[in-house]
Amino acid sequence: MSALGHYLEEEGIATVAISLIRPQTENTKPPRALWVPFELGRPFGPPSDPGLQRRVILAALELLERAGGPAIIEDFAEDDPRAQPEPGWHPPPVAAASVDGSAEALAARLESEIPLLQGAHDRWFGRHGRTAIGLSGLGIADCGRYVADWVRGKAPPSPRDGFSAPLLLRFAVDDVKAYYLEAGAGEGKPSSRELGDWLWNETAAGAAIHALRSACLASEDERLKLIAGNFMVPATRVRGAG
Amino acid sequence: MTRLTDLPPAMAQRLAELECPDFTTRPWVEGAPLSGRRVAIVSSAGLVVRGEDPFRGRDPDYRVIPGDTKPEDLLISHISINFDRTGFQEDWNVVFPLDRLRDLAADGVIGSVADTHYSFMGATDPVQMEPYARELAGRLKQDAVTAVILSPV
Repeated sequence: MSALGHYLEEEGIATVAISLIRPQTENTKPPRALWVPFELGRPFGPPSDPGLQRRVILAALELLERAGGPAIIEDFAEDDPRAQPEPGWHPPPVAAASVDGSAEALAARLESEIPLLQGAHDRWFGRHGRTAIGLSGLGIADCGRYVADWVRGKAPPSPRDGFSAPLLLRFAVDDVKAYYLEAGAGEGKPSSRELGDWLWNETAAGAAIHALRSACLASEDERLKLIAGNFMVPATRVRGAG
Repeated sequence: MTRLTDLPPAMAQRLAELECPDFTTRPWVEGAPLSGRRVAIVSSAGLVVRGEDPFRGRDPDYRVIPGDTKPEDLLISHISINFDRTGFQEDWNVVFPLDRLRDLAADGVIGSVADTHYSFMGATDPVQMEPYARELAGRLKQDAVTAVILSPV
């Protein structure tokens, strides 16, 4: 962001950046920045909170009227109330884990769990009118089947022109995660941590993606290793991570 | 929830110590009061309009987000999976605050909102982004933009 700000200002356009990582902003010194104390991924604060979002953007824009730069860094004081867990939230029911830990059992459980969550996902869509599913270009059932076939070790070809099989796998995994995180919030306002705990620790999708990551990392296909190592399981959710 | 302190220490340190190119200038553009500014959003979230080509890796170019894009048609294709996406899933203003800019324009706090907004993929080497950023500046000027809010993830 800091470099973009530099290039645009050199071309004569004033900029102000939101900063989520204050030490990074101190190093890179954009012309103007508002540091916010929110989690990564939420530069303008909590969802569905237009009042707080407005205060963030206004605090940032007001730096455009400030003299004394370049390299103004201001701190935004309010935190995100939605970062706190919601005690009353209960995730939707998921498929029971099988004692059979085989790849086939994991894949079959994922395929059966996706339709089980459709009602919860419909409730999500009814409340918010949007979905982040769509990078793969496949419907969610087809995404699930594609990921499940990879879990089975089939390495299926990409059904989409212009997308290699590993790239489509990356986007299909993204879409499956989006579906679960939306279905998980079909009711209530869980924090992102609660949703992540549910996805990665309780669902077939979490177990399947963990298993798929391990299998792909053991592959001799460097592209697949790259996809598995970087694009499947967040660093904070990799098993064995501190 | 992912804050810098939640990440593995090596990754957190890498992010915190990220450096900019060694610039020889320190540009600083001043302008009219906010009520006279025309504001555009430039994101580094790897945003893409549904149906268009997502960012595939560290692509240095940018995607165009027309102002009439519907919230349900904006997706994140950033290569990092180490930031929260649930906020954006619920409300695009968390990352792309177009509704908030429109509110501010309607209230006369800012002059107007740009017709078009843009997104880069933030994990890209900034040196490779430079020609695209300078080209983007030309587009912004054609839209009479006088202020850009830079939105990371």
